[in-house]
Amino acid sequence: MKCWTRRQFAYAAGGATCLAALRPRMARGEAKARVVVVGGGVGGATVARYLALSTGTLDVTLVEPKSRYTTCFFSNLYLAGLRSFESLTHGYEALRERHGITVVHDSAVAIDPAGKTVRLKGGKHLPYDRLVVAPGIAFDYAAIEGYDAAAAEVMPHAWMAGSQTKLLKSQLQGMADGGVFVIVAPPNPFRCPPGPYERASMAAYYFKQHKPRAKILILDAKDSFFEQDLFQDAWTRHYPGMIEWLPAQFTGGVKAVDVKGRSIKTASDSHKATVANIIPPQKAGQLAQDAGLADQSGWCPVDPATFESTLHEGIHLVGDAISAGEMPKSAFATSSQAKACAFAIAAALTGSERFPPRLFNTCFTYLAADDAVSDAINFKLADGTIKIADIAISKVEESTEVRRQAVRHAQGWYAAFTHDVFG
Amino acid sequence: MADSDRGAQLAASCASCHRPDGRDDGIPPVVGVDQESLASALLAYKSGQRESQIMHAVATSLSDDEIAIVTRYLAAQGKNGKQP
Repeated sequence: MKCWTRRQFAYAAGGATCLAALRPRMARGEAKARVVVVGGGVGGATVARYLALSTGTLDVTLVEPKSRYTTCFFSNLYLAGLRSFESLTHGYEALRERHGITVVHDSAVAIDPAGKTVRLKGGKHLPYDRLVVAPGIAFDYAAIEGYDAAAAEVMPHAWMAGSQTKLLKSQLQGMADGGVFVIVAPPNPFRCPPGPYERASMAAYYFKQHKPRAKILILDAKDSFFEQDLFQDAWTRHYPGMIEWLPAQFTGGVKAVDVKGRSIKTASDSHKATVANIIPPQKAGQLAQDAGLADQSGWCPVDPATFESTLHEGIHLVGDAISAGEMPKSAFATSSQAKACAFAIAAALTGSERFPPRLFNTCFTYLAADDAVSDAINFKLADGTIKIADIAISKVEESTEVRRQAVRHAQGWYAAFTHDVFG
Repeated sequence: MADSDRGAQLAASCASCHRPDGRDDGIPPVVGVDQESLASALLAYKSGQRESQIMHAVATSLSDDEIAIVTRYLAAQGKNGKQP
C-alpha cells in the first residue's frame, strides 16, 4: 500500500478509506495508538525515545526489568581502569519525565500476536497496536560442555554488562603477577565484533602497569577476526610478548571447560587459566525464541526497511537479536535500526511520510589509553537485505596524533550517544 | 512540513555522535551553527577536501539536496532552541 502524506490525502478522492486504514484509531476519534517496546537497552530505549520525539500522538510504553542499564560498550575501559562502573550506568528518568514514555520495570514473559497483548511477569497484560521487541542476545550454553549460567559465576562471560563485568574485573585485580588470563572468543555472528580483542588489549593495558609478567591467551572459534591487522600491530607495539592468539585451525576450537580445575579444553589440548573469560556462541534473546520470532539460525528475520518481523505481523525487532544482513551487532548499528524502525512505525500509525531508512555504523575501539581506531560503514537496502555500500577502517600506519584524536572522538561519542539513547 | 520531517529524520543520524544541546565533549556541536557553515563543511568532507574517515562516509551518503535539507533543519533547531 502506498503511504500517503496528510496533504496528499486531503486532496485525494476516496481518501477516507486510506485514512481509516492508516490511522484507524485517530480517524475514529479514539484513544492514542499504543506502542509497547520490550527491552530497555540501546535498541528499545532508542525506539521509544524517537517515537516520543517524532510524534506527540502515540502512547509509548517501555518494559524493562532493570532500573539502571550498564552499557556493554566501553565496559572494557572499566576493566582497564580507564572508566568507572558508574560512568557506564544510565537510568530511565529522562525517558519518563522529559519524553512522557511510560516505563514499566517488569519482565515480558509472553506475547500473544493474535490478541496483540504482552503478558508481564507481574501478571499485567499490555495491549498494543504495534510491538517492538529488543531482546538482545542469549547464550548457546550447550555449545561448550561444562559451561552454563552457574559456571559463568566462576568463569564470567562479561558479555552482558553489569555484575558479570564487575566479577571479571575483581578476578583480574585478584590475579597474581605471572598468571594466565584466557579469553574464549565466539564464532560469528556475535555481539561487538572487535570486543573480545579490545578486551585483550585493555586487560594487557592493566597488566602492563600492575602485573607485567601476566600472559593473555585468546582461544578463538574463528581463524580470523575484525580489524585483526590493527590489533596485532598494537599488541606488538604496546604489549610485546604478552598476548597470544590461537585460531580454531590450530586448536580445533574450545570444546569444554572444567570449572573446578580451572581449565579449558580444545579439540587438541588443555589450557590452565588463572582467570577465564568464556564468551559463548550467541543467539537472539530468550523472549524472541519463546515467541517464535527467531528462525533456525537462532536470529530474528525482519523486513530491512521497517524492521517488522517476517514471522509475525505488527511486531518489530531491532538490535543484536536480528538478522540484519551485513550490519554488525553493535550499539551504533542498533541505534540506527531503532531510529528507522521508529520512523516506520510512526508512518504506519499516524500517516506521516515515510523516507528510506538511513543505516550507518561506527565503532570506536581502544588499543591502549591513547590509541584508538574506528570504522565507518554506510549500508544500503539491496536484494531484500542490508548490504555494505561503503566502508572505511583505520589503518596500521596512522600517526600517533590520529590515534589520540580517535580517543577524544570516542569519549565525545560515548557522551553524545548515551544521551541520544537515554535522553 | 514534509521537508522538516525529512530534516528531522536525517538529523537523527547526526545525534548518534553530536550532542543536540550544543555541548562539545570531544566531538564538535552541529546545533547552533549557521546553515552555510554546516553545508560547506559537509561538502568539503564529501569531496575529501576536509579529512575525516567518519564524516567522509556520512557526507558521501547524502545527496547535495539532502545536505541542504539537513543543514537547514539543524540551523533552525539552534534558533528555536529545540533539541532534535
